[in-house]
Amino acid sequence: MADFKSEYAVEMRKISKVYPNGVAANQDVDFCVRRGEIHALMGENGAGKSTLMKMLFGMEQPTSGEIIINGEKVNLSSPTVAISKGIGMVHQHFMLVPSLTVAENMVLGMAPKKNGLFVDYDEAVEITKEYSEKFNLKVDPNAMVMDIPVGMKQKVEILKALVRGAKILILDEPTAVLTTQETVELFKELVSLKEQGYTIIFISHKLNEIMQITDRLSILRGGKFMGVRETKDVTPQEISRLMVGRDVVLKVEKDQAKPTETVLKVRNLEYVNEYGKTMVDKLSFDVRRGEILGIAGVEGNGQKELVDMLFNLAPVGAGTIEINGESIVGLPQAKIREKGVSLIPEDRMLYGIAADASIEENVISDRSHKKELNKGLLFNMKKIHELSDQLIKDYLILCKSGEQKVGMLSGGNIQKVVVAREFSSNPQLIIADQPTRGIDVGATEFIRKKLVELSRSGIAVLLISADLNEVMELSDSLMVMHGGKIAGYFEDASVLNDELMGEYMLGLKHQSEEEIRRVCHE
Amino acid sequence: MNKKAQLRFSILRGCLAILISLLIATLLIFISAKGNNVGEKLGSTMDALTNLIIRPIISGRGAFATKSFTDILAGMIPTIFTGLATCVMFSANQFNLGAEGGIMLGAFVSSLVAIYVPMGAGIHMIIAILASAVTVGAMMLIPGVLKAKLGVSEMVCSLMLNYVIMYMVKFLMNTKFADKSKGQVQSLPFLASAKVPELISNGSKLTWGFIVALLFVVVTALFMYRTRWGYAIRMIGINQDFAKYSGMKVAAIIVAAQVIGGILTGLGGGIEMLGRETTFNWTALPGYGWTGITIACISGNNPILVPFAAFFMSYLDKGCSLMSTYCGVPAQLIDIIQGVIFVFFAAEQFLSGYRQKLVVRSAQQELKEKEAKEGKKDE
Amino acid sequence: MSNLLSSMMTPAFFFSIIRITSPILFATLGAVIVEKAGISNIGLEGIMMISALFGSLGAYYTSSWIVGLLVALAVGVLVAVIMSLFAFQLKTDIILVGIAINMIGSGGTLFLVKVITNLTEGKPLSSTTSLITKTLQIPTVNIPIIRSIPVLGKIISGHSLLTYVAFLMVFVVWVILYKTSLGLNLRSVGENPNAASSVGVSVTKVRYIAMGLSGLMAGFGGAFMSMSYAMGWSQDMVAGRGFIALAAQAMSAEPLGSMFATILFGFAQAFGIKLSSIGFDSNLASPIPYIITIVGLVIFAITKRSKEAKRLAAVGAAAEKEKEA
Repeated sequence: MADFKSEYAVEMRKISKVYPNGVAANQDVDFCVRRGEIHALMGENGAGKSTLMKMLFGMEQPTSGEIIINGEKVNLSSPTVAISKGIGMVHQHFMLVPSLTVAENMVLGMAPKKNGLFVDYDEAVEITKEYSEKFNLKVDPNAMVMDIPVGMKQKVEILKALVRGAKILILDEPTAVLTTQETVELFKELVSLKEQGYTIIFISHKLNEIMQITDRLSILRGGKFMGVRETKDVTPQEISRLMVGRDVVLKVEKDQAKPTETVLKVRNLEYVNEYGKTMVDKLSFDVRRGEILGIAGVEGNGQKELVDMLFNLAPVGAGTIEINGESIVGLPQAKIREKGVSLIPEDRMLYGIAADASIEENVISDRSHKKELNKGLLFNMKKIHELSDQLIKDYLILCKSGEQKVGMLSGGNIQKVVVAREFSSNPQLIIADQPTRGIDVGATEFIRKKLVELSRSGIAVLLISADLNEVMELSDSLMVMHGGKIAGYFEDASVLNDELMGEYMLGLKHQSEEEIRRVCHE
Repeated sequence: MNKKAQLRFSILRGCLAILISLLIATLLIFISAKGNNVGEKLGSTMDALTNLIIRPIISGRGAFATKSFTDILAGMIPTIFTGLATCVMFSANQFNLGAEGGIMLGAFVSSLVAIYVPMGAGIHMIIAILASAVTVGAMMLIPGVLKAKLGVSEMVCSLMLNYVIMYMVKFLMNTKFADKSKGQVQSLPFLASAKVPELISNGSKLTWGFIVALLFVVVTALFMYRTRWGYAIRMIGINQDFAKYSGMKVAAIIVAAQVIGGILTGLGGGIEMLGRETTFNWTALPGYGWTGITIACISGNNPILVPFAAFFMSYLDKGCSLMSTYCGVPAQLIDIIQGVIFVFFAAEQFLSGYRQKLVVRSAQQELKEKEAKEGKKDE
Repeated sequence: MSNLLSSMMTPAFFFSIIRITSPILFATLGAVIVEKAGISNIGLEGIMMISALFGSLGAYYTSSWIVGLLVALAVGVLVAVIMSLFAFQLKTDIILVGIAINMIGSGGTLFLVKVITNLTEGKPLSSTTSLITKTLQIPTVNIPIIRSIPVLGKIISGHSLLTYVAFLMVFVVWVILYKTSLGLNLRSVGENPNAASSVGVSVTKVRYIAMGLSGLMAGFGGAFMSMSYAMGWSQDMVAGRGFIALAAQAMSAEPLGSMFATILFGFAQAFGIKLSSIGFDSNLASPIPYIITIVGLVIFAITKRSKEAKRLAAVGAAAEKEKEA
């Protein structure tokens, strides 16, 4: 390798990033990667890893701070510039064109030509083969990307970066979509790349993986830099402590829960995604009237698939779901709602609201057909106005009037519209999936209080949250999901501390089957 | 931006779109104007523009042109219906372009009932029109169901249906229903009991159909904004995933929106045919469907604005035909004006820079007001 | 019935299928190109009308069919670029832009022909049929050797030059899409614009080019209509061919496959003409291609579904196999 002024391949100094909406994703982060190492960037969801890497790949520009590549200060204004500086990124959602062959994807935007006009496909295949062999990343150059397994897709992505001259590779949660077998293979390849002098930045929150292959690791939490360690000198417990934890422990006032009969009963629920990976693995649990059952866990451990199945937004692979003893598997959403299920969806802009419709129209979406809002053929507009005005008042939705378009509101107020609708539908079970993600403090506090209030009034609440504060303080009992399974169940969430949580969330600890079975109150 | 500012912006934007299209029209008129030099040409251009813009309602003597005005109102009848139909279908995000064929099918079916199924006066007309509405509604099941069940493009499907309908109607006219005693292809005359009565008998063919059309504007507006079904149609158009999650029957409503569009189109076809004509004599698609799409686009899919847009289009149509009669400017200028207005109304980014400025200004103003208020509180 | 069959089994019948297919085939190829880039151009119908008009006028004024053809192509591209301006710069729904172009294409062209002929001929004409003479038509080509082959020669030889161009274009478009870097970029823009832009491919630029090419194809189709299929331009002469092209594209999405779909329409129409020649009403036969389109779309939608299900199952099985290995 050529002489470099610095031992570091990447130096990101005092990087801050504030988004136009005021969210500070990174604050004074120092992130340095030595040449030729595998360096893990760790942190929970929302810790600012993605933002930091987007800045390194030129997709975002830092608000302040500087980026130095191989000792040279650079201005990474676009991915094209980043690529020219030898940086390559393998995105979590592959940037591949499904109906093109592997070789075509490899050379997209830089296709070799013959006779000045035509793509030299043979040359593309040659290039692919050459790189494939050189780096021992086995791909089939002539296969269409849509027909190859996800592990091979990832190899294509890595080769794509390499063929563009990348010396520094960023891999964004590369193992999230891989089967165990594929993960083992990937690690071999990464180590071999390292031996050839490549620098690898590896984003992950899977502890065992990181301990296995990285040289050093940096940890972010809440947009701040928590430190850098040599992997061999650090214990999993220390990582867990640095990564999972709360800067401020938020206390929520609530009485002791007095759970009564079971409302939601889930047994042996399974979900296999389209690539054949089991995302939810024989999950069984109960949620009872009057309690908040929290589901903690790093995202991508099956929570999303679980919620989708509960509301029939994804097909159930196997197992049963019952509400008050009646199966709801395969029922249309209207019927599920009739049985008293409410859902605060994780993605509020996709499912939660119709942005171009008014607040009033958004709060009645689940009950527009009900008698109380209709007068014969027509809507009872008086009732609808009353309902919407009441909800705006009760849920402190900041707006000019119920006729304002929801899309014009702030994130917190949009979420309050969703919450107002879902809480006011007289539910027996509320599924709250990331109910306060990305919204302001006031709205967050309000929604949490409401959740507690409702559970105490005898409603069953299932709370899924990646926010540790939220899930630990709000839940009466709590389970941790890891790898599509329950890693631990805690009857009394208040005995838990951050450290213990971290160990379960990262898969360091696992309860016995008997202990876990307690979540089925039979 | 508040509602008033929003409205002001929309009006400004609409006026500018119309202005641009009229400028283009003026240019085309100038090119086609009679005259040996620029001066003469300018003169005849002015003359043509007068015919286009003023003559439809004010006669050469400066008086109110009653006949011409009632012509304009009569011309609105079919396009109000196709406009309403398009509003409903486009609101559900269904680009169904079948109103064109639908109105021909409706007109044909109502004609058959009007000729061959004798009934008492009044009831005959109503049954004939209803038959048309039901038929066209049923026809729209084809693109509707194929879209909802199989994901077949409702646009291509409805376009194809337009041609199928046209040829089938022509075939039936040629072989079965033509009045053989006439030189041209036309049906036997409608029974008097099936005629839609005139509102004013001055030859404009302004019938009670006009009142019914306005009535349906109200009905459709009520349906879209005051009933659960119209509400569901609109929500699906805005965000289909949201509608599904909320518990709406998305597939059924997608079909329903198109069937309702068909029913409205069918009403228009029946009313137009039994009001304006005495025998069925259409030999090609009438173009009302396309005008209906323009009208829906100008009115932003809001039924209440449909009669205004329909008036505007009918006015232009009248102006163009006057211009063609008196100044020799071909009447088809209307298609160019229509096309230009259409794209400018549809162009989201048209004047978006100005809109951004308005938004910022209004936000700043709000902030100032808020500060002033809070300042007062502090004192 | 046997009468019908025997009259269909003639070279003349197959000749007519090819002739009828040609103009639609151009438009189909235009639709294939833009759809590959992820855009629906429903304005092909209107572009064909406008190109047909200006092509015939161009040929008449310059007394040269070559210039006429070039004018038709240039106008086709120009209209497509204007459409792109509205669609990509002013963010107008491309479907609505297409509708507008079709409005101008159907009535606006009649206005233009009247105005232009009034200026040049002293009287407004509502078609250019009187202006296009045999010499201004796109010439027909008798292919040596092939024309003397019995039966086949009568079917394949003696077509308009543009017919051969049309079928050649199937190959050319396939080459553009699958053998050039433009095609590679175009397909990636259509399928995953993020992937394309992440490696420095300009999505907007590629879409402009795709629209331009579709305009070019529609220009060919228009020229064929007014300078070969018919003598001169007349109102609504394209008669839904642009829409049929959309359907043909929807049935296959590939140049060769949609060519066969287009031939199917050609066959249906030729069949219709045959039917009317033996006494059936032509209006009974005319809707056949449109009905076939709808049926074809349905069959296509069903097969696409089962294919997709099979493919996912195969990928899943492959992953399963790897897991076991």
